[in-house]
Amino acid sequence: MMTLRRWCAVVGLVSLGLGILGAGSGCRRDVTTQAAVRTVTDAAGQPVAIRDVSRVVAAGGSVTEIVYALGAESLLVGCDASSLYPEAATKLPQVGYVRALSAEGVLSLRPTLVLTVPEAGPPEALAQLRASGVPVLVVPAEPSLEGVKKKIRAVAQALDRAAEGEALIRQLESDMAQVQSYLAGRPARPKVMFIYARGQGAANVAGRDTAAAEMIRLAGGVNAFDFEGYKPLTAEAAVAAAPEVILLPARGLESSGGIAGVLSMPGVNQTPAGRNRRIVAVDDLLLLGFGPRTGQGVMELARLLHPENTSEK
Amino acid sequence: MAAVNILATRPQVLRLPGHWLIGGLAGALCGIVLLAVGIGAVAITPAQSLSILAELIGLDVGVPFTEQQQAVLLTIRLPRVLFGALVGAGLAMAGAAMQGVFRNPLADPGIIGVSSGAALAAVLCIRTNGWLFGKAGGTLAVYQLPIAAFLGGSLAAFIVYRLARREGTLSVGLLLLAGIALAMLAEALRGALIFAATDDQLRSVTFWSLGSLGAASWVNLSMVAALVLPAMMWLGRLARPLDALLLGEAEARHLGFDVTTVTRLAMLAATLIVGATVAFAGIIGFIGLVAPHLIRLAAGPSHRTLLPGAALLGACLVVLADLLARTVVSPAEMPLGVVTASLGAPCFLWLLLQERGFRS
Amino acid sequence: MMLEARQIGVIRGGKVLLDNVSLTLLPGHVTALLGPNGAGKSTLLKVLTGDVTPTYGAVYLDGRPLEGWSLVDRARRRAVVPQESSLAFPFTAFEVVLLGRAPHVALRETPRDVAIAQQAMARTRVDHLAARAYPSLSGGERQRVQFSRALAQIWEALPDGSARWLLLDEPTASLDLAHQYKAMAVVRQLAKEGVGVVVVVHDLNLAAYVADEIVLLDRGRITAEGRPEDVLTAERIRAVFGLDVIVTPHPHHGRPCVVPLYANGE
Repeated sequence: MMTLRRWCAVVGLVSLGLGILGAGSGCRRDVTTQAAVRTVTDAAGQPVAIRDVSRVVAAGGSVTEIVYALGAESLLVGCDASSLYPEAATKLPQVGYVRALSAEGVLSLRPTLVLTVPEAGPPEALAQLRASGVPVLVVPAEPSLEGVKKKIRAVAQALDRAAEGEALIRQLESDMAQVQSYLAGRPARPKVMFIYARGQGAANVAGRDTAAAEMIRLAGGVNAFDFEGYKPLTAEAAVAAAPEVILLPARGLESSGGIAGVLSMPGVNQTPAGRNRRIVAVDDLLLLGFGPRTGQGVMELARLLHPENTSEK
Repeated sequence: MAAVNILATRPQVLRLPGHWLIGGLAGALCGIVLLAVGIGAVAITPAQSLSILAELIGLDVGVPFTEQQQAVLLTIRLPRVLFGALVGAGLAMAGAAMQGVFRNPLADPGIIGVSSGAALAAVLCIRTNGWLFGKAGGTLAVYQLPIAAFLGGSLAAFIVYRLARREGTLSVGLLLLAGIALAMLAEALRGALIFAATDDQLRSVTFWSLGSLGAASWVNLSMVAALVLPAMMWLGRLARPLDALLLGEAEARHLGFDVTTVTRLAMLAATLIVGATVAFAGIIGFIGLVAPHLIRLAAGPSHRTLLPGAALLGACLVVLADLLARTVVSPAEMPLGVVTASLGAPCFLWLLLQERGFRS
Repeated sequence: MMLEARQIGVIRGGKVLLDNVSLTLLPGHVTALLGPNGAGKSTLLKVLTGDVTPTYGAVYLDGRPLEGWSLVDRARRRAVVPQESSLAFPFTAFEVVLLGRAPHVALRETPRDVAIAQQAMARTRVDHLAARAYPSLSGGERQRVQFSRALAQIWEALPDGSARWLLLDEPTASLDLAHQYKAMAVVRQLAKEGVGVVVVVHDLNLAAYVADEIVLLDRGRITAEGRPEDVLTAERIRAVFGLDVIVTPHPHHGRPCVVPLYANGE
């Protein structure tokens, strides 16, 4: 047993030594002359220095969308699996899913900047990218209008397209103003149940503090549920909440078997929404991405919640 | 407890000499490690790889390489390949030990509940966005998930151990039942948690369960090595007791071995190994089952050869599997668990056909 | 130097398996435990090997309580042949026998250990099975291999001269007739070499052949104890086993020979 303990100590020390050696060898930084450096504050409040934006990798659907909206798509050399809009983005080299990025994969594209969102991972991959001298900017991504503006500003600043960024924000504000005027003459606030369907009958509904709840609120609706986060859909809860409209993301509706499929979910038939067949869907990214098209998403949802031909005056 | 006689019908047994096998596998592992370090998404020629490695020990081979290539090789690929070897070796050895303790060649290293407990803890951590482990920010936050998984796995194994204790002795039959019961409970709880998860959380859970070496860094490698290497050495010393244990608990005791202590030590070692590897690499299946099996086929069930042999073979398999995972859909990566399952399933099928062909 | 059971009682689940059993076993003697099913023979043997802890009473080896002996010390001087053993892994028969040397092996088996294992296999006539996979052997072959393993375990006399012990639990259950008696011949030889043997058997004639002393158990108690000719009487056999027999001296070696009486038409 003495020998064993000694062996363990030796092994532990060797491992520690390896760790120190490796950590040391990874910390070499590029000491070339600094060109015009921009400093952008990331989601954690830390400043990130950005010099070169000639080769950008974007990880996160909304970030990629913003880059295209800013007219900066020529800078993109790669994006992640969740970047589905615009269609051109799907033709770019893919570096994995935003939560499971491949550090070496990203590096193989020789990026000079990585733009991503807070849920990017694994953390070791981001650390390795930074240690290889590639700035990684994690833009703030709160699911709210303010959050969208901050996200757009951060990306615009990083890419030195501040003016185009402000233009996007003005567009967003004008989209929202349109929504306001549309809703002005429509005081009704229908109760909306948002269903996150994952096929095979597994369905969750959204409570408050969710992206869906915020969109519903902006579009002049009221969330049918008040609990926090997501919960499984139960017949009793659905009937008790009595939603007037049921909302799904477009792919969710498809995977549930369309309107007929939704009607067969627990309790739906006994809700006003079910009885009146008021089941609506909006494109996933448009509805929940909180990207530059948020205003359009809200408008589309508002029209669905308050159809034109019903006069609510 | 009914034993499973997989190869019972063969009268003659194949026995490759132990030293041969160990030496051959060690050589193969070195070769595979060098190969894996030299291949990846970022282009680095073999000459450049050698040059970078040589520079570590102060030799200048004269082949130029960029700063970034050096960073990729030394801070991304090298720790990852070594991590893969460690994970493979640990899981294979733990699997071999559990097969000895349970006297069943189909036991996998997680049979005592470690994998189930770790998976449950990971889902809990993901579902609660980590608040369960405090918002102790900064560096500790990054380790929330691995710490949760390790603690969950250890707790599960501890519960299984306590359930199986009876008047001071450890009953293997009860261990097995407790392990199964705990796994079922953990699955049920996991299902309940996943059921109410958001799409994003579900995606995270799925990716975690499919396994990946993406979290490999020198720091993480040292942490895992600090737990796994001593545990592997403990297991190595249990070679002869495990052999005797195969004859039966009573027989092993008659031969002078303290069965309870041996079982406890083997369980502890397996818990450390599986807990540490699952914490950082997720669930990696089949290695703990296939590697010991193949070594047994080649060199017999004696643990003196089986333990080191399985470790070396496990290391080779994981490094190779990860190489495939990194290159097949480059620049993206496939989850490692998918690759090991794709390799492991046909392997078992082949074993089955062999056995069937022999019996007819 | 003796193996003693002092007032052993075993109660499990309300059932009395052994009731106040005391026994003294001496080296160089073969003691056979006899009795009908459920008499407690195997339980008594398990108490002697230390596998079962008695509810009251204790076992003493060389004057010291059995618990006071470390597992390794016990294993160096006492070998056990189990009633049945299953092995799910393809060890060769030789490897199984070599495992019998485990209590004497420090780091690695020496050539001497290998030689002992080979000799043990030769003694029980299983050396031709050495390279065969143990799970592929027949029940009888496996039992003989287990016997070799036990022999290998206590092959050498102990340096301090203390006695060696061999305990066998129904070692002839799967053996055919010839092998049964051959095995018991080996047992008798071992006793001559000074080993103390305790063997549980079913067959009365086999017991008569091999034993110096017979202990007859019935429902957890010792009914009779002594030389075969004293214990194996027709009255006692009828009382304990419920069978009518004639006991007659064997024509060659004079030991008692038990011959069952069959009633006509039953």
